Amino acid sequence: MAQSNPPFMSGVPELLLLRLLDQQEMYGYELVRSVRTITDEAISLGEGVIYPALHTLERSGALKSRRKTVGGRTRVYYSLTGKGRTRLEKLANDWRRIQGGVETALETAVNA
Amino acid sequence: MPDPDFKELAHELLVSGFGPQRVQRLVSELEDHYDDLVQAALASGTDIAAAKASAQSSLGELRQVAVAMQEQPDLKCWAWHWPRVASILYPLAFIAVLPAVPLIVGARHAHEIMRWAGCMLLGATVTALMFLTLQLAITLG
Repeated sequence: MAQSNPPFMSGVPELLLLRLLDQQEMYGYELVRSVRTITDEAISLGEGVIYPALHTLERSGALKSRRKTVGGRTRVYYSLTGKGRTRLEKLANDWRRIQGGVETALETAVNA
Repeated sequence: MPDPDFKELAHELLVSGFGPQRVQRLVSELEDHYDDLVQAALASGTDIAAAKASAQSSLGELRQVAVAMQEQPDLKCWAWHWPRVASILYPLAFIAVLPAVPLIVGARHAHEIMRWAGCMLLGATVTALMFLTLQLAITLG
């Protein structure tokens, strides 16, 4: 079972949210489901605490929101802004660098 | 099983300095999310009690949401950031808006006020006609 937000996950939820919203606008429930799907259920975001994260990203200008009525229900849809795209690129590069470093460290440890 | 106490969360956030609009939106999003979780559980064939329990488990403790919000002071309203400015501006705004309150309330209840005015006018007309009739009867009689 995927653990929700272990300590080393700092920054990962933000990266995943920005990555998903780069593709299409989504509302909170959709985002949580999509994170599970694209990570093969390896990462499970705390469902309630996703909203403070979304509000913070919106406040920082990385996301924008709009109300949309679908099937008789009004939902808040989030989408990425230009600033959000820049943030996504930076986070993705940071993550690749860390991932590469950890993989190198693991291989070195195995070969040693 | 009772539903999560979203009202208590809203109250806690309002008291902590988050603006009413932000709190309302957050609570509305959480309620929708909870409803979606319950509907998904029901669709998978579970009964309502189990569906609610599963939804609450997935949504997590509302206390955690409150803590996550508290960790983001930027989301708090301007009055929390500048309490001295707010303590000056709020009374001034209240005094400025006070004279407009009867007009706003009147505009909202225009239909009832018009009906009341019509009834009063009709009553006054009937009374005046009765007095006129009485006066004519006295004068001519």
